[in-house]
This record gives sequence, structure tokens and C-alpha cells, in this order.
Amino acid sequence: MPEIIAALDEKGANKLLDKAIADMDPLGDSGSGNLGPFVAGYSITATLTNGDVDLIPPDTIRIVDLRLDWSLDLSFGLDLGSILPEFCLPQVCVDIPCVGTVCTPEICVDWPTITIPVSFSDYLKATVDLQLAISLVGGQWKVEAVVLAVPNLQFGPTSAALLAAIGAAATPILLAVPFIGPFLAMAVDIILAIIAIAGVTGFLGPIITPFISGLRIGLYEQSQVFEVLPATSPVDPKVDIVIDVVKAEVQHNGLEDELVLTADISA
Amino acid sequence: MSLTETEAVFASIHETALNDLLTAFFTDRPRYLVYGSPSFVPATTVAETSMPAIPFPGVPDGIQWRVTLGIPKVDLYKPTIPLPPELTLNPGQFSARLDVEICLNCRRLKIDPRPPRPGTAGRKDDKRGKDGPQPLSKVTCCKLSVFAVGHLEHVMAITGEDAIALAVDAVEIVDIQPDELESVVECLLFMILQAVLAEVRLPLRALRAGAFELIPVVGPLIEDDQIKMRGNV
Repeated sequence: MPEIIAALDEKGANKLLDKAIADMDPLGDSGSGNLGPFVAGYSITATLTNGDVDLIPPDTIRIVDLRLDWSLDLSFGLDLGSILPEFCLPQVCVDIPCVGTVCTPEICVDWPTITIPVSFSDYLKATVDLQLAISLVGGQWKVEAVVLAVPNLQFGPTSAALLAAIGAAATPILLAVPFIGPFLAMAVDIILAIIAIAGVTGFLGPIITPFISGLRIGLYEQSQVFEVLPATSPVDPKVDIVIDVVKAEVQHNGLEDELVLTADISA
Repeated sequence: MSLTETEAVFASIHETALNDLLTAFFTDRPRYLVYGSPSFVPATTVAETSMPAIPFPGVPDGIQWRVTLGIPKVDLYKPTIPLPPELTLNPGQFSARLDVEICLNCRRLKIDPRPPRPGTAGRKDDKRGKDGPQPLSKVTCCKLSVFAVGHLEHVMAITGEDAIALAVDAVEIVDIQPDELESVVECLLFMILQAVLAEVRLPLRALRAGAFELIPVVGPLIEDDQIKMRGNV
């Protein structure tokens, strides 16, 4: 029989995970990824909010509707010359009496490379299964809930919204380009067409999925040398015990599923 | 039946772990087991607690004494350790067994031939040598096995945390004759044990090895060789 038993029902586990997730450091990353044919630099921050906890024996914690709120800043460069047709002002010749024919030179517009910055925020919800993982590293006992398998994250609506945001962000940038007027709508359409939903999904997936798939939620952390009482005077030093063994599992007891942590100690 | 029953959190500690906690407490703070007057314990240290001698007219510096307790071995209901017939371990109670050594510094006193003066001791230590009827002083000790039963009390630790203390309800010492002497010694040890164990305040946090926050609603209770608590997160 374990020497020490601590148990939470699902209501208690919900509160524990609420706090554990709220106490997690904000998630974040930066780098570059493929946005369709473009390489986009990005920085992203994200926060998690607990959903509904379902304890499943023997060692699974399911969180339904785990919510990830994320905020993304990305930018990518675009050589307009690669997507817009060559545009030249034709040579114009005028016959001027006594002077003869005067012609203007043909002027071709050299389309610039533009940088399109986009800021976008959204959230997603996922159902994740977490498995209990127990470790003793550096004299520290830890019980964590670790994502068991990469959940299937749905980026469809988000991708469409981000694609629209890219179009909206591109428009004012393009408006500043000389002679773009007749080609503005075409340029936006072309940009969105070559990125496409698949490009956005392919961009978001590798960036956001690790926030969920690499999730580790701390449920218990104690030093193996556990301080029972602190030192209060020179003649009353601190009192310690040693936590020799820690185990954790989900048990079905009576009508309830409970998260049960057990420990054995020694003086 | 679930562990948490109608509450959200449950915690329990088995008597073996409770004994580990008590052993840790008394090993790290042995002064809570050893008490003595200055000739035995000149100053309070981690190892011993210095107490005044028992003042008595005519005994210079008072009666010197020392009480040394062993680490109590606690048994939570249901009974595991046999008890003397005078004690019964009832539901919700603990029993404890420990050894106690009581020592006195027994001194031969010399009558001062001068007339007694108010406020002065009438006797002095006998300066006779070893050839006298008794040595100058001799430490005289007896060892006793003590049994006790008691209950838990919900108290606050020095850290301000919720804690438990072991409250002694009765003490029994076996085979001291006459019975009146047994009663006197039991009374003495009853008071000593109550006072000593009241100082051992074990935080509820330690009883659950720091796992899960618990605001007590039910307990601490003694059941099934365990201390059990239930409460909210």
C-alpha cells in the first residue's frame, strides 16, 4: 500500500489544469517558413486556455476544447516583376512643323520588389490526449501531462482569414508603386492565387502545431529532499524527509475517475 | 467508493509514513526528546533542551533532573501494536509506544550546624569522600516503557499552514508497584507527553508530500491505519 496518497476528481483536475496552464510561460517562436512560393519571416506568440478535463484510466488526461490564442507577425518579399506583365509607355512621335518628327523614348516600368507585412491573430481549439510522465531529474520529482499524439488541428477557416489579411495588407503597399493602378487588382489576385489556402495552411501548420504537440503540463513538482518544516532558530533546524518513490495514474474508483498520485517517503 | 467522495481532493498518509515524519522531526530536532536541568543540560542546543532545576528548600541549586524520550512509534486505528489492557484504541484514535528515561542527580546533603537564617539554605553538599555512606552525587535513572492513546488535533504550524498535532488522552506504564506510584509516574509522563507532542506540528502539506492544494473540509481523520483528509482545491 502506498504510504501517501493524493487524489483529485475531475472537477479538481480541471482546476489543477486551469492553474497549471495559466501559470505556463507564454509560448513563442520566430523564424521563416514557406508561404506558398514565398519565404516569409515570422514571429508568433501564443497562450493556452484549459478546456474540459476528462480523466481516462489508466493514465490519460483528455482536454476537450483546449484553446490556443495566437498572434502572428509575418512579412515576405515579392518581386512584382515576376507576377506582373512588362509595362512600357510606348514611343510617341509628333510631327512638328519646321522641326520635323519628335519622338519620346519608350519608357518601361521596372516593377520593384515589395515587402508585405501582415499581423494576424486568431485562436484554435483542439482535443488533446495527455499521458502522465514521471521523472526524477537532478533531485527533483516531476509529474507532467505530456501530449500523447499530435492532434489534428483544423486550419481551414483560419487560413482563409489569413489569406484575406494578406490581401488587405498588400493593397496599400502596392498603391505606393508607380504605374500600378491598372494592375492593382490583378496583382492582389495573383498574390493570393499563388499563395492559396494550401500555402497558408502549409505555413501555419508547422508553426502552430508544435505549441500543442510539444505540450507538457506540470502537475506535481517537488524536491526529492522535501522540507517539512523550515529552520526557525539555531536550535530548531529544518526538518526534511526524502521522497523515495512517486507514481501517478488515473483510477476508476466507485463512480468517479480520479487522478491519483502516490509517494513513499523515508526519514 | 471514490477516494475523494463528495469533495474534489483527497489525501492520506499511512502510519508508516507518519512514523517516518516523526523520526525525521526528532532526528533533526533531538532537543524535543531530551530535557534536563543545568547539571545535565547546561544550555539548550539542537540536541538538548535546558530547563530549570526543581527548586526545593535546602537543596542547593535545586533537584537536578533529566528526562529522555525515545522516538514514539505511532499506530493509527486499526490497532497494530498490542496495548496494555488498561488502554483501548478506539476508532479515530492513535496509540503510541515509547521508551522514557528519567534521571535524578542524587546528592548527599550536609546539615549546616549554624543556626538557620531566613532566606538561606540550611544544608550544603556533603564534602565527604568516597568512603562515606553515599557518594557525593550519583546519577540515578530508571527506564520505562510508556503506552499512550490520543487523537489528532487540527492546528496551525509555525509557518501558518494547516497542520496536525498528536493530542494525548491517556498514558499507561506497565508493572509499577504500588499502583499509586504508577499513577503518579503516569501523571508526570502524561503531562510531559502532551507538551512534547503538542510541539510536533506536522503541516498537512507534508502529509501529502506537497501534492495538490487542499483546503480541508473533512478531517484530518484516523481510519484504516491512515490519516485522511478531503477538501477543495
